[in-house]
Amino acid sequence: MRVLILGLGNPILGDDAVGIRVAESLRGLPWASNIEVDSACCGGLRLMERLIGYDVAVLVDAICSGAQPPGAIHHLTPGDLPTQHTASSHDATLPTAMRLAEALWLPVPRRIDIVAIEAERVLDFGEKLSPAVQAALPRARQAVLQILRQQGIPAPDFGGDAEIAGAPSSRVVPNAIA
Amino acid sequence: MTTTKTMTTKRLTIDPITRLEGHGKIEIFLDNDGNVANTYFQIPELRGFERFCVGRPIEEMAIITNRICGVCPEAHHMAAAKAADAVYRVDPPPTAKMLRELLYSAFYVTDHTTHFYALGGPDFIMGPDAPVAERNILGVIHKVGLETASKVIQCRKIGHTVVEIIGGRKVHPCTSIPGGLTKGITEDQRVEIEKMGRWAIDFAQFSLKLFNEIVLGNKAYVDLIVGDIYTHKTYYIGTVDANNKVNFYDGKVSVVDPEGTRIGMYAGGEYMDWIAERVEPWTYLKFPYLKKVGWQGFVDGKNSGVYCATPLSRLNAADGMATPRAQEEYERFYATLGGKPVHQRLATHWARLIELLYAAERWVELATDPQITSGDFHTIPTNMPSEGVGIVEAPRGTLTHHYWTDERGIVTKANLIVGTTNNYAPMSMSIKKAAQAFIKKGVVVTEGLLNRVEMAFRPYDPCFGCATHSLPGQMPLALTVRDAEGNIVAELSQHTDSCTMRP
Repeated sequence: MRVLILGLGNPILGDDAVGIRVAESLRGLPWASNIEVDSACCGGLRLMERLIGYDVAVLVDAICSGAQPPGAIHHLTPGDLPTQHTASSHDATLPTAMRLAEALWLPVPRRIDIVAIEAERVLDFGEKLSPAVQAALPRARQAVLQILRQQGIPAPDFGGDAEIAGAPSSRVVPNAIA
Repeated sequence: MTTTKTMTTKRLTIDPITRLEGHGKIEIFLDNDGNVANTYFQIPELRGFERFCVGRPIEEMAIITNRICGVCPEAHHMAAAKAADAVYRVDPPPTAKMLRELLYSAFYVTDHTTHFYALGGPDFIMGPDAPVAERNILGVIHKVGLETASKVIQCRKIGHTVVEIIGGRKVHPCTSIPGGLTKGITEDQRVEIEKMGRWAIDFAQFSLKLFNEIVLGNKAYVDLIVGDIYTHKTYYIGTVDANNKVNFYDGKVSVVDPEGTRIGMYAGGEYMDWIAERVEPWTYLKFPYLKKVGWQGFVDGKNSGVYCATPLSRLNAADGMATPRAQEEYERFYATLGGKPVHQRLATHWARLIELLYAAERWVELATDPQITSGDFHTIPTNMPSEGVGIVEAPRGTLTHHYWTDERGIVTKANLIVGTTNNYAPMSMSIKKAAQAFIKKGVVVTEGLLNRVEMAFRPYDPCFGCATHSLPGQMPLALTVRDAEGNIVAELSQHTDSCTMRP
């Protein structure tokens, strides 16, 4: 079984980098050889293409649902996304891209979990996370590790976070329409 | 902004539309007769990029500016690379320029393919009144078959492979440095690239054939394309080579008037003599216009400095295509639509496919050039850095990067005009015209209004700061119609699967 932990985001767009920061901090752990940790700045079709060849994927990304304060953690699946993920006006959305993959029998993961961290600022260029999002990094890491363990996938401990308890907040489906 | 009712002295002030977080908004204001008076198109914009560049070495710009756009990082990389060459006044060797252009051609094939099949194409292949849920690449597959969808994925794969081979990385190229590239390609890589290019030519021709059958073979679609709703007579700009043929990577920017007469050309820093920016009170977006013509408002015509920068624009601003098959299609395009220039905005989708074919042919041309595998891919800069401009054609419009540096090459100031920015004014006009067809004398026909308004700006393939990435992705497009007193008469919003306003 091939597993991919993928941090998504734009490293120079403030809180939009949080997914990448989480992935980078997990990269150095002693993972088994069938588990890959990486980061990427893509969505829609490109994201779907990146997932080809894996059985399980955990994506980490920023979210702007407005339903929770900055730093809150959501545990979602692609089915929870109302329509789009990193949608731009020249791409398909992740749910659509995944349906395309299924239609074409592309070997995409049978299970995708998304750890989404509520962001504060994603429209301003900058290399720092806002304080609430920075403070959420340990919980986000733990959420990833717990998701893996729940599926029977061995995940190493992240030393500094050992004392952080609790599962991510219960499934929240972000409001789609203002 | 202020709305004044003529029958009374009542004045109504509407707050400037504040910065939107996460979605696009169209506000339509009616006059006293209930007809469309003004249309305001607001989109979120990413903030502070030029400031972010200050203090960084110019060499970093080609890597950092990759991150402005999630879909066309290659365009920003190239513009920044060329600007860095200009800052150092260094001329890269021919092999470096050819390799950059080869990467760029492959990128264009990928980008234009994706736009046609995932975004623009669905409007036609499914039909403009098809339900939103079907107007996306999945709907296209149902109509044209799984094999076509497979080809789209394959096309993207080969394009990304070429970018990775030459650019060093899949999504964000990193091999351009002032004076050229950090590496060249081997003969084995060249063979692989050539083979993929030939496949791309076949696929481009297949796509044009599909467009011919499904779109041009359907009278209702043709009527839509040539109809007045989506027609604007503006100026057009696009980069051309020394023979005035379309070139995406290098050349001079040609400017033609609404009758197709070339009024001039510019390169590099001359852009400041040609392009000015109009500030409007209702938005923080600035509207570029042609300085030499002047700003007359959001209107068509020879006296209005509003211009357009899109695939259609590029074809209008050039004398032809530099490769044979694309040239044939270019001639057929103008013969079918009644001559140059073509003003019907929906024809942009067709123009995009002609560019796709050119990009594929150019890919093979460059891949088979004897100099492409040369080891001479870098000229060491020796001049003192100071200031430079790099201009390329991004798929969605002319892209300009302008940097000022100190004597160490550290950026002190930056100015970027991204592809879509060129089109803010014509997009607003296109939206207004589409809206006018659905709103008359106070009666708002809501059925189909949003669809048709979307169709108005989709040909521009707008890039609304798509560098942000966060979930849930997109709010839908929201459209509000207000009467002369500012009261809301209609409010519509719609999820679109393939068109989102999200930054």
